[in-house]
Amino acid sequence: MKTANLILFLTLLSAPTVAVVAGERRAATRMAELGAAAADVPIASAADEGYCTPQLKAIVRRVATSCGLVEGGRGCKPADARSVATMGGADFNALFTPLSNRAHLVQFDAEQTDLDDFGRKEIEKVWAEKGGASFFFVVARASPDGDAALNTQLSQQRAQSVMGHLQQKFPGDEDLSKVGLLWLGEDFAQLDTGFCDWNRSRKENGAACTAKDINRSAFVAWIDCAI
Amino acid sequence: MSTPLSFHDEPRGYVPPTPPTSAGGNAARALLFVGAVAAFGGLAFAGVSTADFIEHLDRQVHSIHCSFIPGAGAEIADNGCKTVMMSTWSSVLRTSLWGGIPIALLAVATFAFLVMKQLQLALASETNRHHTSFLVLAWLLPALMSVIFGSIAFSQLGAVCKLCVGIYASSAVGLVLAIVAHVQAHKAQTPVPLGTWGLWFGEGVVYVGVMVLFYVLFAPQAPKSAEGCGTLVKREDPAQVFIRVTSTGTPAIAVLDPLCPACKGFDERIRNSGLDQQLAIDAVLFPLDETCNWMVKGASVHPGACAVSEAMLCALQDSPDSSLKILDWAFAHQERLRADAKQSDAGVRAELERTFPKVKGCLGSAQIKNKVNKSLKWAVSNALPVLTPQLFVGDKRVCDEDTDLGLEYTVHQMLGSSPRPLSPGRGR
Repeated sequence: MKTANLILFLTLLSAPTVAVVAGERRAATRMAELGAAAADVPIASAADEGYCTPQLKAIVRRVATSCGLVEGGRGCKPADARSVATMGGADFNALFTPLSNRAHLVQFDAEQTDLDDFGRKEIEKVWAEKGGASFFFVVARASPDGDAALNTQLSQQRAQSVMGHLQQKFPGDEDLSKVGLLWLGEDFAQLDTGFCDWNRSRKENGAACTAKDINRSAFVAWIDCAI
Repeated sequence: MSTPLSFHDEPRGYVPPTPPTSAGGNAARALLFVGAVAAFGGLAFAGVSTADFIEHLDRQVHSIHCSFIPGAGAEIADNGCKTVMMSTWSSVLRTSLWGGIPIALLAVATFAFLVMKQLQLALASETNRHHTSFLVLAWLLPALMSVIFGSIAFSQLGAVCKLCVGIYASSAVGLVLAIVAHVQAHKAQTPVPLGTWGLWFGEGVVYVGVMVLFYVLFAPQAPKSAEGCGTLVKREDPAQVFIRVTSTGTPAIAVLDPLCPACKGFDERIRNSGLDQQLAIDAVLFPLDETCNWMVKGASVHPGACAVSEAMLCALQDSPDSSLKILDWAFAHQERLRADAKQSDAGVRAELERTFPKVKGCLGSAQIKNKVNKSLKWAVSNALPVLTPQLFVGDKRVCDEDTDLGLEYTVHQMLGSSPRPLSPGRGR
């Protein structure tokens, strides 16, 4: 009986203990093997979407450099848009076509540079949709009516109106340093009426959208390109 | 030579068995065999639970068995057994050993001892009430533990662990059988053999001691746990998106998604383990929801998380406590909120406004969307992995594999090597 009791005692003690130790050793082996393998977890990063072609990135880089965004600080002086783009107006506009859902057009009255309520709301809406974008582009234009120099001045002031509203609405936001302004006046990359179908500030109030109307505008968009 | 084990020399006071002479004695013996089966059942349930726990010592995610049939019902998804296993109640000495010593291992030792003792006494030439009295007392231990842990599972964890229920049932059946066997057994004519009982108790202690000793000796060690997995490069919060959770202890940052189940479990572990009293935790929101997080490609991992994050940051303008109330609410209704958001994000936003009227006018505004974006950009500037939860103690990142079972051990190790600036504060 003593032997049977001893066998029972040792069997029921050793069997679970051996199972526990064996399980731990297997876990240790797996841990060593998995430790050597690299973890396959994506790292948080800025967006770099498929539409970021080398040409678009080049323009983004040039505007960013011209506007002092890359070096830090403000001071946007893209005096000659043609030299920034180094391409024809149609090709320039085509680069932004993939942004049809991302970009918005803020419209202005003829010879005006002040934002209306629709424009202000549109800018705030776009600003909130930044996602992982690295740059915010404001590309202002003017219709071909009137003097070319005046139109250049109008487009510059329209770009600056957008910037001014952002500064007023989002004071201290460090992303303001990511805003690049480009003013094209009347003589480069005029928009055709196809852009009337894009998101624009006066779309919902049913205002007419002629070629002149759509060019009295500022194109605003976050650019999801890492340069 | 005398040994402490009862199967060698009979101690003083031992009652020498006499041949069985009645039907009652045979009935008691039969009940002891059935009791051994009940103990074996408890051993099987506790064994599967222990095996699942040990499987996780490799710091990976594994399926967990959760069935009334031991060894069946393995699933990787959340279940009651997973909730119980990942809770702070599943093991002891969690700050001294990665994962601690599982309670299920102690149950294995107890049931193995009970199987052994039931069989020894059933095979003995005679069974009397001195024997069965000891068994009744021995079965009281798992029965009492079942009551305690069962009430914890229901009241604290709100989870039904089928393996645990198997253990509770085995304990109850074993206790009842031991009592019935006691009633059926012969009355002993000698005084209570305290010496024999003491030695049998000692055998039980040997079972527990040996299994715990071997468990500790062979537990896998990972030096990486204390070193952490990366450091913060840009801790500052210029956009003021941190949500102060606790204020006392070593500075820590928790990266959370309000609709992530793992974050809910992580939050419970932090609170139940008392780490919230040792860490001054700031929460950073990192919703894994594509409506605001461009790093989530395809379908949202946690739909609705952007809306809840917006609400939390709206409430933060009032106070961190208001924000944490929304977090607690979101944790409590995670599953439903995710399902609702899959149908309509607007529905979740409307419910947030109904439940927390103060966020009305702020939720969905450009300003607050901008804030959520800043929270995500904080993760970008620190090149964090796209996952939640994450914990930084000081500047060291707790490895992902250490945020569940090994959380207390890892943080304890990290705190041992971190400065601990103390400031008066409040718990959550």
